[in-house]
Formats: sequence, C-alpha cells, structure tokens
Amino acid sequence: MSKSSVSLETPAELKREPLVANNHSIKWVTENVCSIVQSPTPKWWLLAMCITSPIALIGLICIVYQISNGVGVWGENHPNGWAWDITNFVFWIGIGHAGTLISAVLFLTRQKWRTSINRAAEAMTLFAVVCAGIFPAIHVGRVWYAWFLAPIPNTNAIWPNFRSPLLWDVFAVSTYFTVSLLFWFVGLIPDLATLRDRSKSRIAQILYGIGALGWRGSNKQWRHYEMAYLLLAGLSTPLVLSVHSIVSFDFATSIMPGWHTTIFPPYFVAGAIFGGFAMVLTIMLPAAQIFPQLADMITRQHVDKMAKILLLTGSIVGYAYLMELFVAWYGVNKFEGFTFFIARANVDGKGWYQWSYWIMMFCNVISPQIFWFKKMRANYIAVFIVCQFVNVGMWFERFTIIVTSLAQDFLPSSWGHYAPSTTEILTFVGTFGIFFSLFLLFMRFLPMVAISEVKGVTPEADPHHNHPKH
Amino acid sequence: MSKRILQHPAESTTGKRYWRSLGQLQDTPEFRSWMDREFPQGAAEIQGDDVSRRGFLQFMGASVALAGLSLSACRRPLKNLVPFTKGVEWSVPGKALFFTSAMPSRNGAMPLVVTTFDGRPTKIEGNPMHPVNQGTTDVWAQSSILDLYDPQRSKGYLFGRKPSDAASFEKALGELLKGTPDGAGLAFLTDGTVSPTQERLRAEVLKKFPKAVWASFEPNGSELEASAVSAAFGPGHHAVPVLQKADIILTVDRDILGVEGDIAAIRGFAAGRKADKAGTKMNRLYVVENRYTLTGGMSDHRLRLAASRSGAFLKALALQVAKLAGDAGLAKAASELKVAETKIKDRWVEECAADLVAHKGAALVLVGQRQPAAVQALGFAVNAALGGLGTTLELRKTAATPALSISALAEELRKGKTSALFILGGNPVFNAPADVRWADAQGAVKTVVHLSLESNETSVAAQWHVPAAHYLEQWGDALAVDGSHMVVQPVIMPLYNGLSSIELLAKVVGTEPDALALVQKTFVEAFSTQADLTSFWAKSLKAGFVEGSRASAVTPALQVDAVAKACAEASAVRVVENTFELVFITDSKVDDGRYANNGWLQELPDPITKLTWDNAALLSPAAAKKLAVETGDVLKLSVGEKSVEIAALVLPGHADDSISVAVGYGRTEVGSVGRKVGVDVFPLLTAAEGRFRVGVTAAKTGRKYALAVTQEHGALEGRGADITRQSTKQEWAENEANPDYFLKMGIDAHAPANFSLYTNPPLDDIHAWGMTVDLNSCIGCAACMTACQAENNIPIVGKEQVIGGREMHWMRTDRYFASEGGDADEPEMVSQPMMCQHCENAPCETVCPVNATVHSEDGLNVMAYNRCIGTRYCANNCPFKVRRFNFFDYNERSITSLYKWNLISDKGMPESLQMQKNPNVTVRMRGVMEKCTFCVQRIQEAKITSKVHAGDSGVQPRVPADVFTSACAQVCPTDAIVFGDLRNPDSKVAKLNKDQRSYRLLEYLNTQNRVSYLARIRNPNLKMPDAARAGSASKDAHGHHGEHQQPAAPKATNGGHA
Repeated sequence: MSKSSVSLETPAELKREPLVANNHSIKWVTENVCSIVQSPTPKWWLLAMCITSPIALIGLICIVYQISNGVGVWGENHPNGWAWDITNFVFWIGIGHAGTLISAVLFLTRQKWRTSINRAAEAMTLFAVVCAGIFPAIHVGRVWYAWFLAPIPNTNAIWPNFRSPLLWDVFAVSTYFTVSLLFWFVGLIPDLATLRDRSKSRIAQILYGIGALGWRGSNKQWRHYEMAYLLLAGLSTPLVLSVHSIVSFDFATSIMPGWHTTIFPPYFVAGAIFGGFAMVLTIMLPAAQIFPQLADMITRQHVDKMAKILLLTGSIVGYAYLMELFVAWYGVNKFEGFTFFIARANVDGKGWYQWSYWIMMFCNVISPQIFWFKKMRANYIAVFIVCQFVNVGMWFERFTIIVTSLAQDFLPSSWGHYAPSTTEILTFVGTFGIFFSLFLLFMRFLPMVAISEVKGVTPEADPHHNHPKH
Repeated sequence: MSKRILQHPAESTTGKRYWRSLGQLQDTPEFRSWMDREFPQGAAEIQGDDVSRRGFLQFMGASVALAGLSLSACRRPLKNLVPFTKGVEWSVPGKALFFTSAMPSRNGAMPLVVTTFDGRPTKIEGNPMHPVNQGTTDVWAQSSILDLYDPQRSKGYLFGRKPSDAASFEKALGELLKGTPDGAGLAFLTDGTVSPTQERLRAEVLKKFPKAVWASFEPNGSELEASAVSAAFGPGHHAVPVLQKADIILTVDRDILGVEGDIAAIRGFAAGRKADKAGTKMNRLYVVENRYTLTGGMSDHRLRLAASRSGAFLKALALQVAKLAGDAGLAKAASELKVAETKIKDRWVEECAADLVAHKGAALVLVGQRQPAAVQALGFAVNAALGGLGTTLELRKTAATPALSISALAEELRKGKTSALFILGGNPVFNAPADVRWADAQGAVKTVVHLSLESNETSVAAQWHVPAAHYLEQWGDALAVDGSHMVVQPVIMPLYNGLSSIELLAKVVGTEPDALALVQKTFVEAFSTQADLTSFWAKSLKAGFVEGSRASAVTPALQVDAVAKACAEASAVRVVENTFELVFITDSKVDDGRYANNGWLQELPDPITKLTWDNAALLSPAAAKKLAVETGDVLKLSVGEKSVEIAALVLPGHADDSISVAVGYGRTEVGSVGRKVGVDVFPLLTAAEGRFRVGVTAAKTGRKYALAVTQEHGALEGRGADITRQSTKQEWAENEANPDYFLKMGIDAHAPANFSLYTNPPLDDIHAWGMTVDLNSCIGCAACMTACQAENNIPIVGKEQVIGGREMHWMRTDRYFASEGGDADEPEMVSQPMMCQHCENAPCETVCPVNATVHSEDGLNVMAYNRCIGTRYCANNCPFKVRRFNFFDYNERSITSLYKWNLISDKGMPESLQMQKNPNVTVRMRGVMEKCTFCVQRIQEAKITSKVHAGDSGVQPRVPADVFTSACAQVCPTDAIVFGDLRNPDSKVAKLNKDQRSYRLLEYLNTQNRVSYLARIRNPNLKMPDAARAGSASKDAHGHHGEHQQPAAPKATNGGHA
C-alpha cells in the first residue's frame, strides 16, 4: 500500500455486532434467564431425565460389577493393559478443557462474547471431569487401595513414586477439578443471590441463600468478587495448558513406539480444546433451540467464533498427526515406523486398527475444514454435524494412540488383539448418562447464563449505547 | 533294616482324609545319611569360593532347602493340621526336605528329586546325580505333581459305578480267584512302563495261574519299532540312539527332540551342538518331516514330506548311501522296498547322503516310529552301512518280557471265556485303536477290575474301579532310559488310600501287599551279589538309583537279508492322490489323554502351534487355501465311514498333502478340567493302518470354532536381527575376530550411543543376579514354563481367558516362523524363552505411581504385591510384555465362574491344590501385577544360608557360584538357561555373559537387561540346495538410511550381517 492511497478522512467505523441482540434491557436478561429455573418443570425435561438417569444407573451398575469381580470383566488383556478405560478418561478430560478455556483464558483476553456461554461451558467442564475421574479410579485392579496414590506420611515411609506420570495425573486432575469448581462457584454467587431474591418458596430461598454466601451486591462485595474472579482466572489459565500436557506425559514419557513422542503436550492441549468446543456446541446448539428466550444471548456470532476455533485447533491437531508421520519416517526407527505406518495408517494392509486411525483422520482433520466457509459456520445443522464428527474423532484419537501402540509393540510374539466387553461399553455409555443427567439438573436448578456478566455486555450497560459517534 | 514307624493319628471318619504325615519316611537312616551327603543340586559345581566347599555343603545339606525361606506367605489349612508333639527329625517347619524318586514312563523312568514342605511334596526336580538327566526334567515330570493333588482324582473304590470299599473289593477278588485255580479265564492288561517288581510279580502270577493271559498296551508306544529291531537284529533287543556321538543326524519322520524321544536324546543332541566359540565342532541336523516339530525347529536342513512318502525318501537315501559306501546288501534291501511314487529333491538326497557317508561312524539316521516296520528296519540297515552300530546307535537287551498286543487280547476276550480282566492303569476304552473294538471286547468279560488314578472311560465300563496310588504315594521301582534300576520312593502317604499296581498284583498272587517289601525283594534278587545289601539299598535310595546298573550295550550283527526280506514282504504304503494323509501325533501335553485333567498341561501352549486347551487339524497354508479354510474353521475329516469334525489350524512348514492331529483329546469321562476339551480322533486310528492313514478327505463344514492360541502372531516382521539373532557356523568363523559381530545387528547396528536421563541408585550389592539363554541349545520344549508354574504358584485361567489373552505364565517360549521373502511354505522356526529381563534401567519402575515395582541392590526388578494397586502402566511400558496381571481372582475362583457376581459365587481353592503351593511364594490376589522374580525365594534362601554360615560377623558373604539356580534353569533339558551371579567371575552365567554370541534384547532402548541371549548358530551344509536359507529368520532389511518403515513381514534383503 503506498502512502498516497491513505485517505485523510476519518475511516468508517466498523460496525461491532452487539453481543446481546435486539437491544434488550438489563431486566430482560434477568427475567429470561431466571424464568428457565423458576417456571414449572417442562415435560421435555422430565422425559430427558427419564432417559439419561437410567443410562447413568446402568453405568453405575457396571462399575459395581467391575469392582466386585475384577478388571477382567472388561476386554483388556496382555498386551493391552489399557484400552477403553484410559481412552474414555482422556476423552472426557479433554472435553473438560473448553469450559476453563472459555471462562479463564477468554476472560483474561477480554473476549466478552464468552459471557453468555461460559457458565454452561464451565458446568460442562466440571461434569466432564467427574466422568473423566471415574475411569482412572476404577481402572485399577484394587480400587480400595487407590489411596496409596496420595502422599500420606506413614510409618513405612513409603511414598508414591514421584517419577510416575500417573501420579502427576492425580495431582493435575484433582487440582484442575478443584480450581474449576471454585471458579464456577465464584461466578455463580451473584446469580444465586438473584435467584434467592426472586424465589418464592422458602426451601429455594434457603438453598440459594446458602449458595449466595450472603451476597448483597454492595460495591465492596463487587470489588472483592471481581478481584477473586480475576485471580481464579489467572490460576486456571496455566491449568488449561498443564492438565492435558500432563495427561499426555502418561504416553510421552513411556518407551512405547507411538507414545514416546515429544510433540504430545501441545498436540494434546490443542486436541482437548478442539474436543471441548465441539462438546460445548453439542450442548449449546440444542439448548438455544429449546430455550428461545436465550436466542438473543447465544447468537450466530458465538457459533461463528467457536467454529473458527474448531477450525484452528483441528488444523493444529492435523499438523501434529502429519508431523508424527514425518518424524517416524525421518527417524528410521523400525519399531516407530511400524506403529505409524503399519499399525495405524496401514500402508501395507497389516494393520489391525487402521479403521480407527482413518476415522480419527477424517473426523478431526478433514471435517472441520468446511469452516473455512462462512456459510457453513452460519449453518447450525452443519456445525452440529461437524461437532459430532469431532466428538467421535477425538475419542478415536485416544483409542488409536493407546491400543495401536500396545497391541503391536516390540516383540511380535506378544502382539494381541483387543475387543471391548459389554460391561466396558456400557460403562462408557453410562458416563454419558451421568454427564447429561448432571447437565439437565444444572439447567433446571441453576442459571444457565451468567446473568450478571451478560448484563455487563448488554447495550444498556454500555454508557455510549446508541451513541456510536460520541 | 530297622525302621521306626511313627504312629499316625487315627483316620478321621468325618473330616477330609488326605493329610498324612511324612514321618514314616523322614526318620529312616538312609535319609539321614543321604542328607549328610550334602545333597543340594549344583553343589558339586562349587568352584573358587569364600567359604570352604565342605563346610558350606555340610551346612547346606542338612536341612536346607534351596527353595525354602519361611512360612510367612503360607496360610496353612487349619482343619487337619496336628502339631508335632514330638519334633520329627530333619523336619524344620518352613524348610524343604528333598527325597529321591522316579517318575515311571514308557520311555524309561525320569530320575527325580522331590521337594517337600512339612510332608507335602510341592515341586519336582531332576536327580542331579543321575547321568541320564543330570538334574533336568521335562514337562510331564514337572506337571505330575498336580496330578497328585488333582481334586477330582479317584477317591475310592467303585463297584458298578457306585461307591464301595476296600473290604468288599478284597472279598470280590478272593471269590474271583477262587473260581480259577489255574488261571483259566484270567487276563491282565498293563501299560508300557517297565517296573522290575511288576515284572517279577507277573512271573509269579503266571506261575500261580499258568493259564492267565498277559497283555500290554501303550497307545503312544513304539510297537512297530520293536518289530523293526527284531527283524534287523533278532528278537529281544531295542535300539537307543546316542546323539552325543553323532556329528551328522538325519531324522525321517521322527521327532526325537520332542514327543518321540526322551531326555537322554535331547541332552545328547545338545551336547553335540555346543557352540562355545567360533569354529568348534557341532553336529548337523537334517530333518525330513510332515509338520514342524521341535526337531524340525532345530534343523539345519529341513525337507517337508508327508509321512506316507517318508519311505520313498528313505529308499532313495539308502540307495544313495549304498552307492557311496559300496554296500551291496543295503542296496539290495533298499531296492526291495516298495514305496509310493514320490518326487524327491534329488540334490537334497544326494548331498545329505554324501554328508552322512563322509562322517561314517559318526552319522545317525533315525526313522519315525509310525513308519512301517520294513522302513524302520531299512533305517537300521542304513545306520549299519554308516558304521553307526555300537557308536551312534546302541542296542540293548529288552527288559520287558513280551506280552500280547491289545488286538490279540481283544480277540481272546471276544471268545467269551475270560471271567476276569485286570486293567492296571491305562484307558483302553478311550484310546485303543478303533478296529480293536475294545469296548465290545471288554464288555464280553464278566468282571473287569480297573486300577486307575481317575475314574475314566474304562472305569465306568468296568465292574470294579480301584483307585490307584500316584507314583509319589507308594513304593515302586523302574528303569531309567539307560536301563539303570531306580527306586520310586513315595513322599507322602496315599491321599485317598489308592493301591499301586504292584500291590494289586501282590493281592492276586496272595502275598502281603506291602509295596516296600515287594520292591526290596526285587532289589535283593537283582543285586544279590552285593556284600552288604542293607547299606547298598540305603546308598541306592539316597542316590535315587543303583549305581552301575546301567544296561550294557550288546552288539548283534545286522541281519541285512532279514531286512531285505522284510522290505520285500512289506506292502507299499499307498498314496491316494488328491486326498490327504492323516498323521496321528502324540500330544506333547495330554499324551494319550491320561493328562487331560491336568490344568497346567492343558494351559501350556504347544511348543509348535502355541495352542492350548484343544487339539486341531494342522495343515499347510497351501492346503488351507485349497480347502478355503483358515485357522478356526471346522473341518470334516473322513476316511471310510468314519469321520470327525475338528478345527483347522494353519501351520507354516507343514507338508501340503498331509494333515496332522494330536490324539488324546475329547475325553468324556474326566474331571472338569479336561471335559469338553478338544476332539477325539481315536475313532479314525486303526491298528491295521497304524499312526498315519492315507486317503483321508477334508471338507469345510462352515462352522467356526474358537481356538485358544497364546501367540497370535508368528512372523518376525523383519525384526529377526533385533530379537532372535542367528548366524551360521561359516559366517561366524569369518567374523570371529569381531567382538561386535552379534552386538551390532538389526537396529543396534545404527542406533546412536545410549544415555539415560535418570540416575538410578547404584546396584552395589556383592551379587548381581543375571541370566543367559542360549538360543543355540534351546529346543523350545517349554519345560521351563511348567517348572516356573509349579515353583511360583502360577494359576491357570481357562480356555476362555487364554482366548482373551490373559494367560498368567511368567515365562513363555516365543516361537517365530520366518523366511526370506515371507515364504510360508518353507519357513525357519526359532524358539526363544522370554521372561522378565530384569532391566537395570527398568521402564516399568519409573511409571508405577505407587512404587510397587522397584529395584533391589542385587539387580532384581522386584514386585511388592501388597503395594500394587493394579494400574497396569508397568505392563504397558514393558517392551517385552512379560508382566502378568490378575484380571480376576484366578486362585480363588473357579475358571468357569469368573464372570459370576463375586458376591454370590463360590470362592476358595480346593484344599488339595493348596497343598501343592510353594509356601515361600505369595499366592497373588486379583488386581495385582506379577512377573518373573528370578525365583527370588531361592535367592533369599541361598543368601540366608550363606549368611548364617558366616556366623556372628553379620556380614553377608557372597553366595558361592552356581550353588542354586532358578526353576527354569534347573529344569532345562539342554541347559540353555543359566542363572547366577554376574558379579562372581567363577559363575557360569558370568562366563557366558562374556561370550561373543551374547547380546541383549532391544539394546537401543537402554533398558540394560540382566538377561542376555546367546545367538543361535546354524550349521548348514553349503552344498545343500537350501543352504542359503539357513539363518534367514534373522536376516534384516537394514539398508541404513534408505530404509524407513520396515513394512513387510518376514522379509529380508541381504543385510551384511547374519
């Protein structure tokens, strides 16, 4: 661009799309969000609970069966010491990344569009981490001794092994859950106070009142509150990166071909954000349809932005996949070469789980590429379908990593196929029951949208509203 | 001799009855002196040491027990134990006592030393003093301890399938015998084991009942060989191959290192194949066989040929040998033999014959026992022409008196004149050839008395079933492979009041059925020339055999005309084109079905097929393609009107026009372990046609059947040079000066130097335990797996779990098929024992979150079961996949009810099985990881022993070299596994570790394994057409930087090494 082309006129103001559409008032926000909680229980909600809670119950029964009989009721074997259990763990923990990313990272970077979705995303995070936490807990052979993992001073002076990435996992995941829970709860305080004040039943008043921690909305309280929120956001941000990095260390620090890869931490984090956003959209898109009153808060703008993030993270993951192949080729290690090119990509037809690898490739790398087109990003159905691909693809990514590396490793004599058992499948299905049941309860009893934060981004809250040229 | 008999508590009428004291045995003077004789195995090999050899041994000998430490891990059965109110001499609670004994078998009894704890035998070892096995044993001896404790053993007399008792039987027996004062109508059927006392009693029986009929039947015996020997050398002889004296060995349809040989043959072969350094003399093995066997796996040249065509091969070879050796008699005999028209590779025969003739006097040809007698006789003639008689092939007088065959006995019985038939062991209703129609014959007898360890098919068809005593329960005697006289010494009172066969015969004769007295009487008669028989008996008992009683060789001349006559008279083996021959093979596990209820054997992978809990129709990849079947497809095998349906198992290296199937499966009257296991193929086996049948058609049924194969993948995937290193004698000689020759193969040839991010604590104990496995000696027999199972309380998991990939064996024998270009028809076979490598820089240890697997200062990778929570991360990170996880409570739950809700299903191990457990090894619960410990209980025992010896100083002295060893090393028939202290320069393992052939697996991972392997050396005859193939399993496509993906399986370009 040459200097002469610079116009001396004031450039045209970029029209910023309002985050809350249709010029609603602050009161409208409160009314709308609270009405979801305070109106009588809708029929669809009961119906949904009737579906999800039995599924959750089946999952719990499977877990009891597995704990009472032994890990043998799953399909794992020698050499496949891990399979669906750790796949499901990494899958759920990955999903649990979106919430904190939206609430913490986007908060710190002043991405105000986050306000209408952060509450639901954080709740989703917590529930996903609950589901995730089930698997490492029950996958051990002797659950009743799982407390050996805790660094409890004891007379035998036996400590956990601080060299083990599995122990790092315990710390990383529990820290993440704790901080996420606090962050979510702190964000809820003003809204719980709103609900307390609006509730008519005594029980609701007491319960919301307890949660509101005596919130009165005073200036001083707001000042403390915002500082606490900021600090928690600051605490959470490194956790977004650390949790999945550490989960990836389970594999990266091992010596198994296909696990022993330095690219894992960033690749896992990108994958987690990718999978997490897909799950946020999976829940949000139907929710926005069910609750038309939220339509002006969860707008096309949100979907568009999230689709862009899917495109970005999906491409990062795709880059990582290709880089793994490159390194396997460049490294001239026959064992690694075998894992990537034969066990996974199946270039010569001898792989056992190539379908899993190619499902992963298609779902994670190819399918989000349609988001280069704005039309596709604006098409809720297209977005929803791609999100389902991503959910499936991210599960298969973990399955591919775990099972292909274990099933065919160094000595061909110890190679062995893996197939899941019914119990194993139902346990995983059961965690969806748990996840959706918890989410339904959340939608019914807590404000789905952060009322106080959304109010802050309404046109009414903008002192310059309707005065673009001040 | 004086003997103090301890009083046992009166038999309980209500409680369980098997717990008895060993006191009767424990205090006899012969044991006392035996114990003084510084027994422990390997002790004689003490070399330079810190303690005086004599002092150390005295100390070791008295009470010790290499495998005994304490009872801390053992929960004794509470109900039946009575505390010793007076201490039994020699018995120290928690310490093992050892007794010599012998396991009778048709090939010659196995000399044993039995480990007992508090009067219960727990483990069997070979007798180190006996020249035949020198402390080693085999799979069957190892697993026989489980038969003793089989909870479904026969526990009482049955009359007409209803419980009866000894008194009723005595009464019935008396009446039976009263009926025939001269023995008319009496018949006896024994199995093929040779016992001098039984022979003596037989003579007495026949003296008292001169008209009685005596027959013997061994389903997997070698009757045809016996008739071949008698044709070639005259009756009353048997031939014994002496493999250690043979430089060139040719086997034709003979698995001499497997089920058609014995431990002497295996040890002889291994002795002739030592590859101590480049250029040393080693034997060469040519194998002609229809399927891969252990022998074929060890071969330098292998020709796959149907069993029905082996005669044609032998004829061609004999003619060639006759031509080269100028032996007209052989030429005549060979040309008389009528054989099936067969295309044989001329050059193979020519070069093989030339090699044999060039090593005249040191060449040996062994012909399969299933081959027609004329073919086998021709084989003896070839040996004679090669000058092998008396050197490589020894002839001895047969010990057993001839008896009727089962066919003749059946004819006799069918006449309906037999009033009483005594079947001493065996199970002819199940395993007699179909054309004998034994069940009918037996049905024609008024009273059948069947003596047997278990109630089997024959028992239920008999009027009387008499529970037999296990060989560890009652006195007996036997002859070893070398003919030496051995006393079978009991180590426990009969658990279920069983009778031994000699006791039953004594009852028939009417003498006192005191087994010890009977055995001693035989002994006295046999060795009457000894001056002091009492001390000679004591000396023989403590040695386990009578020294100097080895059968001497005789040198009858080969009657070549008789061989020619036999060849001329024999009808040709038919070959029906476009059909298969069916070869009946002796199973390496259940034998003729007798071990069907032994869980260790059922779950032991077959050394070749890796199949457990089943038999299968083995066929070549080409045959499978022709029939459009794959492994697991059910085939219908038909011949005549008979047919069986059995699952196919595709086995590389099988002859294309042949199908092999193991006999002994498909038992119906058997305990729960053996029930519904495999398919009975005896209906197709006839006495007339022998152990291979031609003209068998195979058809696909369309049904599928799940086979439990422990090794899913048999190809090396181009990793031979990394995993199983090999070279040929010639190439090794060329690289003799290169110390890295075996170290830099495969990926290690171009991997950069290792460095570790971790600094592990120093391994600075005075000991450094380590192991070497000589791939050149290992035949892959899997005796080590069974020994490990017995020593380390390893549970069985059942077929379903094996299919799921959850077998618990701490060690396995990997078997690979590989060839250049991935040719599945003519692959090489390699066996490789695989156990925890005890990495100094162990990947499993860093990942365990609870520190349940850690390192000891002496270099063991140890498991703390109590600490293990079962994350399985260690197993995932193990590059050798040797860790085993208890997916279920395999010790507490029946293998049939693992999936039942734990809370409502029965738990607990049968008490008799609890008695077998090694008290020094924890019985693991579900949810914990386990793996090879290098037999840490033996290490600790040895360390404690030497420390106690050191006295008050409190300093742990070094355990002298090679005074003890691990269970797998101890059992190994070829001494391929050597365990010991790497830090002690005098130990065998330290010396072998410095061998040029020594390499460690996956060195580039920097795991610093304590187990090293010694590369295998093949000794091909370079003139043979297939010489270039030797060692191809380990050839590697390593084109350095051009090669990236290593895609194709057994593929090799010429890699410069190997």
